[in-house]
Parts: sequence; C-alpha cells; structure tokens
Amino acid sequence: MGWAWLILLLATYPWLLGADLASDTLASSSLVVFVSGTCLIAPSRRLKRWQCVLFAAGLGFLFEARRPIPDGTLALTLVAVAIFLSSNRPLLRSTPRMLQGAAIVNVAACLVWYLAAAFAADAPAVGAAGHLFGQLLLAGIVGTLGLVPVALTQNAAMDRLGVPPASEQP
Amino acid sequence: MDQNRQGARASYVALAVFVAGWILLPSAVRRLNREAFVEFQAPALHLVGKSRDLATFWEKKSRSSEELVAAGRDLARINAALEIKLKGMEDIRRENTRLREVTRYNVPADYLSVVARVATRDSSSWWQRIVIRKGRNDGIRPGAPVVFGDTVVGRVTAVHLTTSEVDLVTSPGFRCTAYLEGDDQNRIVLINGVAANSLGTAKARVSVIPYDYLLPAGTPARVTTTGMGGVFPSGLTLGYLDGGAYATQVGNFKESLLVPSRDLYNLQEVSVLVPIIQTPGEALMQGDQFQ
Repeated sequence: MGWAWLILLLATYPWLLGADLASDTLASSSLVVFVSGTCLIAPSRRLKRWQCVLFAAGLGFLFEARRPIPDGTLALTLVAVAIFLSSNRPLLRSTPRMLQGAAIVNVAACLVWYLAAAFAADAPAVGAAGHLFGQLLLAGIVGTLGLVPVALTQNAAMDRLGVPPASEQP
Repeated sequence: MDQNRQGARASYVALAVFVAGWILLPSAVRRLNREAFVEFQAPALHLVGKSRDLATFWEKKSRSSEELVAAGRDLARINAALEIKLKGMEDIRRENTRLREVTRYNVPADYLSVVARVATRDSSSWWQRIVIRKGRNDGIRPGAPVVFGDTVVGRVTAVHLTTSEVDLVTSPGFRCTAYLEGDDQNRIVLINGVAANSLGTAKARVSVIPYDYLLPAGTPARVTTTGMGGVFPSGLTLGYLDGGAYATQVGNFKESLLVPSRDLYNLQEVSVLVPIIQTPGEALMQGDQFQ
C-alpha cells in the first residue's frame, strides 16, 4: 500500500505529541524528551525502503517545525539512518537488537539536532558539555524504554495496513 | 542480496543529490515546508490546551460554595481598592496628555492587548519558548512584546495562522535594553538570554553595568525596560539582579545575571502587545533569520 508511510506517521504522531507534552513538563530543566529516533526502528523492519525514507523525513520535519534548528538537518539525518536500517534489516532481527538500535539511533539523532541548534544559535556554548551529556542520557533512556509501546502501536497499524511482517531470521 | 546493496547505494546517491538540492533551494520553499508541518500540528496543540482548560474548569467547579463566596468577597474588596486607584490614574492621564501637548512630546506607541492562553512550553540549551494559542488570524505580528501584568515574558518570534511562538526573556535570542533600580543616573544596561547549561532555572545576562553602580541594600535590584528601540513599553519589569555584580575581564563594566520575576514555565495566560502602527523593529524581524 503506497500510503502506508503516511498513515503510519499519523499513527505515530500521538507519541510525538506525548513527547512534546513531557518536554513541556520538563521545561524548567531545559531538557527535551526526544523519541523521533525510536519511532524509526519498527517501520525500518517492515516498510519498503522508499516508504521508510518518506516516513523518516516526516518524523524529522515534525520535530524541526517549531524549533530553531537549521531546516532539514534532523530530517535528512533520519532519512540517511532509514536507508541504512532498511538496507540492513538483519541488524534489527530480535527485540534486544531493536532496543540497542533504538538507543543508538535516538542518541545519535539527538546529538545531531543539539549540534545543529548550537551551530544556529548566536550565544556562546560555554559549559554546554554537561548539559549535552544529560540530554543524550535522557534520549538514550527514553529511546530504550519507549521502543516497546511505540513499536506495538506501529506494528498494529502496519498489520491493519497489510504490510508484510518482518523476518525473524537473519 | 546484491540487488539490496545496489538499491541502498542508489538511495545514498539520491540522498546526496537531494541534500545538495535542498541547500540550493530558495529559502521560501524551505519556509513553506516548515509552515506546512507547523500547521499540521496546530490542531493537536489547540486540543491539548483546551483539554487543560477543561480540566481546570472541572477542578474549579468541584470547589464548595463557601470557598466561592469567600473568593467573591475578596475580589469585591480588591475591585473597590482598584476603582479608587483607577480614578487617581485618570487624573494623572489627563495631566500627562496636557503636558505632552504643551511640550509637543512624541506620543509613545499605542498597543492593542491580545490575551492568549499558553499551549505548550519547549526548552533546551539553545531555546526557551512557549507556544500561544493566538496567531496571524488574531492580529499578532512578529516582534510584538509579550507580557504578564507588568512583567515581560518575551517576544513573538514566529507567527502562524492560529498559533505563535514566543522567545522567553531567558532565551539566547532575546535582547533588550534596561534600567537598574538604584541607579539615579538611569544609565542603560543590556539584557540578553544565555544558553542554559544547567538543570536549574534559566537566567539572562545583564551586561554593561556601570562600574560605580551599587546594588540597593536589603532588596534585589529590579530591572525595568527603557522603552527605547520601540519594542517594549518603558517601565515593565524584566526581573531582578541575581546576587552581586562581577567585573568583566576588561574591567570597565560589570556583569550580573537576571532572574525573571515570575516562573515563566508556569504561566497559563499572557498578553501580546501588538503595536497599532507597525514599528521599524517589527519590519526588521520579518526577514529569514526569525523562524
């Protein structure tokens, strides 16, 4: 089904909104709850490559829309990750591998938007290392803990859309 | 397997071409793309905000009638006191207008106050923002000051159809001039937000404090807007100086930190002061640099 990526994006959006609301709660600590990397894992196992690319671009642009990050930085990074993951599906063949993948992708994508925002900001980055570490730690924890519920939602949506299941064998 | 590898290679090449095209694209196309994704999310933000309002409504509805009677009585007393103050203000306003006419003094910008509910807050090292549920449809324009009572909250940086983004006073992109309480000569200091690099409350930097400025004893020094630059009306509270002022490396001036006078992340409602006549500052803010 050609529009599976769009319907899947709509099915994933409540999780992105939930992350934004969690960021709202954590606003006084200047931390962002980031889950876009995690949301990319389950679709990378089942969607066709081009669908996965469009899904990843949508995820990235949704995050960037309200934030002062250079246009397309996160979206294009997620697209590159989507191409890699959908071309190497055996890397995500089991749940522990998916959890590892979610943590790595979420932390890497978080690092990309943080650096892009630092590049765009006109304020000096004195002492930002500690805060960056906290942000990456949060992204890793949220990425790992959030994978199961997000993937369950996405798999349910893909089952309904008739997307073929992922192979469990390498 | 080979086909998969070839497909991946072709995808990477296509991505590289797309990245090059994306960089060369006119900024209007990128802005249109961003705007489309913002408008896609706007209904969800409105829904979240309205759900919060509904929860507050039901929470207040569950209060006992005794509590409501007591609150009504307190409000009536406050109203009576305010009415007396208002009459005094009216006399001052007339006197002010007369003096301005006599001296042919420039009339400061008039503002239209648009009350807006806060939809969501978003904060990281590099931005501290709130999203409000009023936008272009309600007459809000980029660059308009945002206040709560007599306290400056921030400035509108991006306006969409039904929502707007507000950079808070502590956001690294925020800049304005101010006066310090206790400085009889009314010398101007600069306020600019700083990147938040701790998990504590975000603060702004107060720079160009005159070397001979002494903090008032006992109370923290209030920092107020100057009214210069045409963005903020004068006399609004930006916050208070945090502790002492320390000398800069050059040593000609001192610096300090500004603590906002309100918890900016707990505001439910703010007022946007839209200038009735467009100011030169606003025109400058309509460029590409404000997203």
